[in-house]
Amino acid sequence: MRMAAQPSELRSETYVKPKSIFPRRWYAHLILLIAVVIIGFPLFYAILVATQTNMEVIRYQFFPGTGLRENWNFMINQLGLGRFMLNSLFISVTVAIGKVLFSLLAGLGLVYFRYPGKWLIFGFIILTLMTPTDVLAIALFRLVNAFHWADTYAALTVPFFASATSVFLFRQHFKSIPPELSEAAQLDGANPFQFLFKVLIPLSWSTIGAIVVIMFLDTWNQYLWPLLIIRSQEQQVVQVGIAKALVEIQNDQAYGPLMMGAVLASLPPLIVFLLLQKQFMKGFALTRDK
Amino acid sequence: MFIISPWLLTAFVVFAASAFLGFAFRWQGQVRYWALAAGGLSGLLGTQLAMWPLAYCTFELERMWLDRFLGCLIVLVCTAFFLWISHWVISRLSVGEGLLPKAETYAGVFRSPLAPLLTALCLLPTLIILSIFHYYPLFQTFRLGTRLVRLGAPKTKFVCLDNYTSLFLDPNYWYSLGLTFVIALGVVTVAMSLGLLIAQMVNLPLRGANIYRALLIWPVAISPVVAGVLFQLLLNPVTGVVNHLLENSLGVRIPWLGHAGFATLSIVLTAAWNQMGFNILFFIAGLKNISPELLEAASIDGANAFQGFFRITLPLLSPFTFFLIVTNTIYAFFQTFGVIDILTRGGPVNATVSAMYRVYVVGVLGKDLGKAGAQSLVLLLIVVGITILQFRGSQERVSYGV
Amino acid sequence: MNLKQPLLALVLGLVLLSGFASSQTCTEASPCDITVWQIFADHRGDWIMDTATRFNDLYPQYNVVIENPGDYFAILDQYTLAQEQGNPPAIAQIFDAGLQFAADSGYFKYADDIIDGREEVLGQEVNFSDIVSPASSYYTIDGRWASVAWNTSTSISYANMDILKDVGINAIPTTWQELLSACEALQPKVDAGELEGCASWPFDNWFTEQWLAQMNQYLVNNENGRAERATELLLTTDEFLSIANFYRELFEKGYYVYTGTRRDWAGAGNLFNSGRVAFSLSSSADARNKVEAAKAGDFELATGKLIRNADYDYNGNIIGGATMWITAGLEPEVEEGAMAFLLFMNNTENSASFHTASGYIPIRNSSVELLQNLKSGNNVFWDVDNKSRTDIEGSNWYEINPNFLTASVQLAESNVNNASAGAKFGTFRETRDLIEAGMEDVMLNGKDPVQVFTAVKTESDKLLEDYNFLYTDN
Repeated sequence: MRMAAQPSELRSETYVKPKSIFPRRWYAHLILLIAVVIIGFPLFYAILVATQTNMEVIRYQFFPGTGLRENWNFMINQLGLGRFMLNSLFISVTVAIGKVLFSLLAGLGLVYFRYPGKWLIFGFIILTLMTPTDVLAIALFRLVNAFHWADTYAALTVPFFASATSVFLFRQHFKSIPPELSEAAQLDGANPFQFLFKVLIPLSWSTIGAIVVIMFLDTWNQYLWPLLIIRSQEQQVVQVGIAKALVEIQNDQAYGPLMMGAVLASLPPLIVFLLLQKQFMKGFALTRDK
Repeated sequence: MFIISPWLLTAFVVFAASAFLGFAFRWQGQVRYWALAAGGLSGLLGTQLAMWPLAYCTFELERMWLDRFLGCLIVLVCTAFFLWISHWVISRLSVGEGLLPKAETYAGVFRSPLAPLLTALCLLPTLIILSIFHYYPLFQTFRLGTRLVRLGAPKTKFVCLDNYTSLFLDPNYWYSLGLTFVIALGVVTVAMSLGLLIAQMVNLPLRGANIYRALLIWPVAISPVVAGVLFQLLLNPVTGVVNHLLENSLGVRIPWLGHAGFATLSIVLTAAWNQMGFNILFFIAGLKNISPELLEAASIDGANAFQGFFRITLPLLSPFTFFLIVTNTIYAFFQTFGVIDILTRGGPVNATVSAMYRVYVVGVLGKDLGKAGAQSLVLLLIVVGITILQFRGSQERVSYGV
Repeated sequence: MNLKQPLLALVLGLVLLSGFASSQTCTEASPCDITVWQIFADHRGDWIMDTATRFNDLYPQYNVVIENPGDYFAILDQYTLAQEQGNPPAIAQIFDAGLQFAADSGYFKYADDIIDGREEVLGQEVNFSDIVSPASSYYTIDGRWASVAWNTSTSISYANMDILKDVGINAIPTTWQELLSACEALQPKVDAGELEGCASWPFDNWFTEQWLAQMNQYLVNNENGRAERATELLLTTDEFLSIANFYRELFEKGYYVYTGTRRDWAGAGNLFNSGRVAFSLSSSADARNKVEAAKAGDFELATGKLIRNADYDYNGNIIGGATMWITAGLEPEVEEGAMAFLLFMNNTENSASFHTASGYIPIRNSSVELLQNLKSGNNVFWDVDNKSRTDIEGSNWYEINPNFLTASVQLAESNVNNASAGAKFGTFRETRDLIEAGMEDVMLNGKDPVQVFTAVKTESDKLLEDYNFLYTDN
């Protein structure tokens, strides 16, 4: 039944079978199983250690231990990881939504209006692909401080509301939508924003999904920027929290709580990723010159 | 006070650029006298825009050869840029085309008296954010690079290109750059070769291929910091489980984080683990793009499986390969910051201070914003170079990411 | 018609009004927060938390909040960033190497300016003349108190006498040379796997600075930057190079166990506390730690003055530690509260109590007297397990705990001059990093010390030159 739903696989089943470069499939299963085990080991072991006390970690115990509650208490109550996770969740969702909204609008402006110098504006947006925020971090730090945004969520979200990739993706997508739709909308007397919300967005869910998942992961994983701009524990994000935990446990080599933190910090992005896996892959565009 | 007078320099560049553009058209068999004027203008703009913010300081008498060399280079690049624009403009005008590309042919545009206003409403949010949070910091980074600035200090000072020349002459910086490329090479090699192998397997008509895929790519969602923490657990000298297993089976202990070479290897392995899923995903997408008929046709022509792989699969994957090389390299340049900060903090003896980590060490811990700005610009130039390579590298392009 | 005056009055009125509106009133119902950044996260952190609670009970209009952003280096870095961002804490613990920078930065208000000649602040006695002299000579700037002295220590030697006596060494080594021969005697034990090595201590430039002081050598010119602003590092003197060679010899012979990271106080401490090395150097502030470890591990602990290079006459040792700086520009009431808290934390009883909790020297002469003439019900001793204070039983603390006296003896025997007063220059924090990296290069990679430290000197001198330009008027 699965196969029927996957035309490409069905096709390869029918045509390629005799000439795959690894003809014997048990070989493939073996390689894949080994890969799954090796790739999975770091997280698997971390989950085990997250349940163990110091003594159990030092014994290299390969089954769950007795420190689960203690490790949880340390990370959640003593270190305040819960707060950090909520902050990260909030800014990740905000940035994802902000990027989608801003880029939808920009896509609309780039496709559905006619004006001179459009290529210049598109170029202005797309050129920022070449300036990763890390490179600008030092100057951005001074700028955001001048705005008195230190220790605010604004510092973690507003600078990231614009995105060249998302604009690019929406522009591509809108151009592939038949122009008859917008002509019909205009005949019905709809303004561009009504058209955006009634027609374009319902047609763009997969692109929106792609951008949401990419931007969510990207923001959740931010480290250097919050490390620079956030001092207060109230607004701190989870990645910096984990790094701080690493410093705190170094005295007594207490890896249990640290791994508890690492596993907890990975749950939201893993869930988002696994739920939106299909969308994640739609975020790329294969473009052909000329 | 100048070894080369600003006037002399400008005059020379204007003359040379003018002659260059004139001859360029002559060689193409066209005589365009106003190309001489355009060339001259390019030369003027090139020198002025490059040297005016620097007040021609690179040509001051007491500066060393490196300053002068850099000064010439900047003027050259800047002039070449304007020459290129002039050449393009003249070529277009002379064949009777307008300067702007033809208006978009997309039929579904909105016509309304309010259109200009609506356009502005749509575009301004993005344009404002990009201007304030991308272009302005970019400009500031340029400016910081030419100044002596210390975080918190009351004064600053213009220092010409000292921040750049000192980088150029600093063996530690060259080490960091080299190390960054080594890490990039390592991540590209490990993540891509294993990624392609695994993608090939997953792409076979296997029972449970989807389950395999999910179990193989999830590290994509793990942050570099957490990846560093997970590998810290595996590799740390006290409770590292990898050494425990190695000691029990082979009787060896490896100083994973305590030895320059091994520490670099640890970072590469961590980064490759983190990036592998991404590579697998895109290779799968690429492989799905190749029609099975092609491979079959090849096999009918007598090619064996390996020949088929090298002659058909690899060339057809090339846009994906190219894209992945670029993405992995960018990851190695910037995202490994988190991995390094967690795993080694740049140690032992600064052996794992990558170029990006050095920006942090110099700018934030060392408070020297000028040097950090200069180093950021070097990184920026490298990214620009890589991006241009990508655009030149293949006609078909995959784009993705931030 | 002249509009100027009414306008001026209006503006003035608005300014005054807004001034009143924003002026904080600290009340019991809405106490003012006084945030303190300090380094301690262990039982010494418990001690300061407890002290803050006591203070908050006494002064319900204030709420002292203790935070721990990391080690000394982190506090200095984070504080600078926080100042750039306009939200620094009220009080920051700045270490010895940050003295010149803290004074130059303009971030802080001098303690003497806040006290302004008063004898008490909110009922807390000032009496800075009671502060022990090594601290006052290190931390006063042109005779004025810029900050409030707090945790002051010096570095001393620690030995596990059970191990040393096993190979016939009955006294703790006091010189480099004695340590080298003790290590030679211990080497068979190391080869047999009974020990990880002879000695281990945190790879921290502080010890290098201590040895320079012992040899009567400056780290920077202009008498350690105390006669005039320093302009140059002194890293190629015979005295300095002897330290590099000492490290190299120790490491090459396998006597020194390097934990792999610089300033790894915890790592080196663990090696010693768990009996895997026989000898260690540390701060006297580790005394309580080590005493507890010796009790737990059942070994005989000995402390001694910091080992010295016997090729040179002994001059003296520097103090280490940090002082508490009050941020400039606080609301007046908060500023008063911050000063009152620091004076409270440093009063005679509390200084004595902090000494028992850590091993930092009692910062007041009156605290020393208190510890020597204890009465029942003194409530000075810090009970690590119960996180509370109890009585010291007995009448003289030092007789019961001789290991706590070593630091005070060492400082008392030091000559007082600018070599033992310690270096003072603006880029001390950055330079510590550079020297440690150079020292690592010599020790681990066997590089030539002269070559390495000539390069370090060039780099550090440039940094200092830039700093001096940016922070002074010329």
